[in-house]
Amino acid sequence: MMSDQIQKQNNPDITKKDLRRAGVRYNFMAVNLFNYESQMGPAVAWALAPILRKIYKNDDDYQAALDNHFNYFNSTTVMSSMILGATTAMEAKDGIKSKDAVQSLKTSLMGPLAGVGDTLVWVLWPTIIGSISGYMALQGNPLGAIVWLIANIVFWFVKVKMFEVGYTSGTKLVTTLGSKMTLFTEAASIMGLSVVGALVATVVKVQTPLKFQFGKVGLALQSGVLDKIMPALLPALLTLLVYKLLDNKKWTPTRIILLVIVIALAGSFFGVFKA
Amino acid sequence: MSGIQILQDILIILLAGYMTVDQNGLVIMSWFPVIVGTITGLIMGDLHTALVIGGTFQLMMLGVAALGGASAPNYGLATIVGAFVAIRTGAGINAAIAVGLPVGLIAIQLEVLARIICNFLAHKMQTDTNAHKFSKMRREAWLGPLLFSLQTAVPTALVVLVGPQVVKFILTVIPKWVTNGLTIAGGMLPVVGIAMLMHYMPVKKFLPYIIVGFVLAAYLKVPVLGIALIGFAGAYWYFTSESRKADTTAATANNATADNDEDEDDYDE
Repeated sequence: MMSDQIQKQNNPDITKKDLRRAGVRYNFMAVNLFNYESQMGPAVAWALAPILRKIYKNDDDYQAALDNHFNYFNSTTVMSSMILGATTAMEAKDGIKSKDAVQSLKTSLMGPLAGVGDTLVWVLWPTIIGSISGYMALQGNPLGAIVWLIANIVFWFVKVKMFEVGYTSGTKLVTTLGSKMTLFTEAASIMGLSVVGALVATVVKVQTPLKFQFGKVGLALQSGVLDKIMPALLPALLTLLVYKLLDNKKWTPTRIILLVIVIALAGSFFGVFKA
Repeated sequence: MSGIQILQDILIILLAGYMTVDQNGLVIMSWFPVIVGTITGLIMGDLHTALVIGGTFQLMMLGVAALGGASAPNYGLATIVGAFVAIRTGAGINAAIAVGLPVGLIAIQLEVLARIICNFLAHKMQTDTNAHKFSKMRREAWLGPLLFSLQTAVPTALVVLVGPQVVKFILTVIPKWVTNGLTIAGGMLPVVGIAMLMHYMPVKKFLPYIIVGFVLAAYLKVPVLGIALIGFAGAYWYFTSESRKADTTAATANNATADNDEDEDDYDE
């Protein structure tokens, strides 16, 4: 088999089992050793420790290689599995001489691949499946949640496999992937943005109980005026406001959440908004 | 307190602790409220209530992603705590929001704290590596998941130990307009995630698709899955036509050089 040949060229000691183990270790530890200084660095060093031990028999080389992996690293796990697979192949082939090349490959790829990976893995997918399963759950239907859970189990095996893919196909695939993924991410954004438009209209809920009173004739602001202009007008305006606020670096999402809570509390107190 | 309740208390605290470890690594259950809510409901013996609470927090969470080491409110923890209190006391969905939302927000501070503490662990691991204590380093790493599990296990344990009845009592003391306001906030909060989503994505380039999605939902009441399918159609069309365009550009470039060659040949004759 092709992959076996590549493995033999690189290092005879490294088996598929070792690659799978490294993939499992990395994807388990990922952000479980997160710190603000080196982020995923310690998790990478810990994950690669057994496979690097097979490559470096000499304690000094092993220590230098591990020390190198303690450096700052952060990317989407599915992408970093592939990057780390590729760098492990470099180390298996060239040993400690590859140390600087390993570091520069990691640094140059983690950003662009995280851009693609985070958009797909953490933004688009949870938004689409989240809104579908969320509405099902509101009606007491667990089907969406179960489908999501099963999908996550499948994703787990994909993530672990990616380490092997990175190892066997080497640095070339990983470097070219970044550019090819751009079109795919754009296309996925189209689907995501259609859903975003729907979410503004359905998920965001702002309503007012205010009424105008003209003598004996009453006019409800919500049903009589706002809904006549456009359905979901207030949610659309609120979305626009928060979108603009986010342009300002001072308005972090957490501050905006607190602002929304304050507005809602004030609105409740003065009877401007209703649930 | 019955034996079953004690067992439920323990399982809920374990679930909360495991949730963060899973979210940080495996991402099988993760912190997604509908999945967490389903499991909470199975433990508490009331799947329906837990699902409705999970669904409510799920919609609040849409678009909220903790990217590049940022922290976000923990709606998964909000689901566990909210569903626990609501089911144990029969206090209802609004009580779940009023309890869960503040706890989910406090969790941000605990996450930041855990990550600061983890910095010392990272240094210890690196020092041990450089002193050639490799197996010691590998053992120490397990403190990481343990530390991060506390970030959600501790607040849950506090709610469980203080007792849901006390929490329910506090909720009855809080004025009506406050709990009402928190419910209104729950309806508004999805806006934050949605606006964040719009910031990550090429909104200006694909503005028409937002409008299409909005109109289909607001005016025509098309369900989300239907709109996702229309979005998929647009994405498919864009992907194929753009990649064909890229191919033709490459092909024309090749043809152009080929034509030039022929022209030169003619000239030679």
